[in-house]
Amino acid sequence: MAAVAVHQFAPCITCHAWSPDRSMVAFCPNNSEVHIYKLSEDKWEQAHILQKHDQIVSGIDWSSRANRIVTVSHDRNSYVWNYEGSEWVPTLVILRLNRAALCVQWSPQENKFAVGSGAKTVCICYYEQENNWWVSKLIRKRHNSSVTSVAWHPNNILLATTSTDGKCRVFSTFIKGVDTRDSKAGSSSDSKFGEQILQLDLSFSWAFGVNWSPSGNTLAYVGHSSTIYFVDDVGPSPLAQNVAFRDLPLRDVLFISEKVVIGVGFDCNPMVFAADESGMWSFVRFLGERKTSSTGPKYGSQFSEAFGKLYGQSKHSINNDGIDNSRQRGGVHENCITCIVPLGEAGSSTITRFSTSGLDGKVVIWDLESQQDLLEYL
Amino acid sequence: MMAATVDFVEADNAEAIISRIEHKSRKIESLLKQSRPVEALKTALEGSPPNTRDERCKSANWIVVHRAIMAIKDLDALFSSLDPEYYDILMKYLYRGLSTGDRPTCDQCLRIHERLTERAGLGCILRSLADTMNTV
Repeated sequence: MAAVAVHQFAPCITCHAWSPDRSMVAFCPNNSEVHIYKLSEDKWEQAHILQKHDQIVSGIDWSSRANRIVTVSHDRNSYVWNYEGSEWVPTLVILRLNRAALCVQWSPQENKFAVGSGAKTVCICYYEQENNWWVSKLIRKRHNSSVTSVAWHPNNILLATTSTDGKCRVFSTFIKGVDTRDSKAGSSSDSKFGEQILQLDLSFSWAFGVNWSPSGNTLAYVGHSSTIYFVDDVGPSPLAQNVAFRDLPLRDVLFISEKVVIGVGFDCNPMVFAADESGMWSFVRFLGERKTSSTGPKYGSQFSEAFGKLYGQSKHSINNDGIDNSRQRGGVHENCITCIVPLGEAGSSTITRFSTSGLDGKVVIWDLESQQDLLEYL
Repeated sequence: MMAATVDFVEADNAEAIISRIEHKSRKIESLLKQSRPVEALKTALEGSPPNTRDERCKSANWIVVHRAIMAIKDLDALFSSLDPEYYDILMKYLYRGLSTGDRPTCDQCLRIHERLTERAGLGCILRSLADTMNTV
């Protein structure tokens, strides 16, 4: 079994993040709080509750070196939490947004963080030592709709964003005084803050979940039309591939190596995509077990009933699955998976452990050690 | 003056598309006479003009695809020879068919929809619903 640990923390979880030593998990149980649970002797105990936001916390990220938590919420605010003594102390970050904040991520060097919002803007926040506060610089141009996901390139300067306008964009977030111009880095260090490096127009519907490969050479993002997009050689002449798949759309993606991507979404079951030697990406398989009913329609739970009614019109027999109708679709998760987080060493190029959280309120830890066929792809 | 020129070009393009569709229609009639409904459907689906906004072109193509869809009798034969690249565009036309409300059309589209979903998966349905740019 690829799923090594499953825990039901709440009726519904919007997002989660892990502490640097992986002993604690922070998540939002679909309200304005952040709960931190600690694993002690195989039992999860509630350690802290962070209460500062007024509305749903839509994004949490826990930096691994500085041990800081950043949270963003639909209340248009962001807090950076520092652990002092035995308490988490919040510092308000004024984002200057007039719409909800939707996602957040610490940069690789943890000196900046990016926030995507419904205000069609991205906020890049950095710490100003002299004034002892976090300053927000806005990227106001370019996006035509909500920014659903942000992802930092390993060089700490490039940021990829996805939006409900269907496009994936890459920006430079170079900030004088925070970033240093690296003469070896090439074109990315010549760009000004907020300059758009690339716009990818591959999707005809909402785009979610973007992630960079460990080297920063490849980008992957998903579209709501059950498609995942892979872009190699991100730069002036990128190579894009559209992979359309059979099942329900994805919401988030994670590169676990240069050639393997895990996608999670409405099928409640992680999907594995891999690139072959020639660089062609394709769907490999689902990670968890799929429940297939032995007879009757191929779709479990809510779909067989709906399809039964739909096709019943054309005089086909309606197969009544009976008790099976109430069983879960995917296996481990019972509802859409919205968040996938790596569990390896920060910055490592291959990850074999990661966790997922979903609208079913579960956090599941997956380990690929037992998945021989997939280890070969890594 | 400039706007008028642009419209003129668009209309011209539409005329070209419609005449291609008429040509296709004759080919399809001949394929149907030879009892080759699967090829007729493939021909109808090929070169569907999704990136024109012109409703006349879309309607003209729909009439041709509808003719081919209604002529399908053997679903097993259809799915054993229809290439997967046609699945998404066929699904879009099935939904257009279902939206007509016409009983025979809906019955046929429903019949094909069931098998197509089995073959192509729910993702195919998603692609026809989520794509608001390339409509049929």
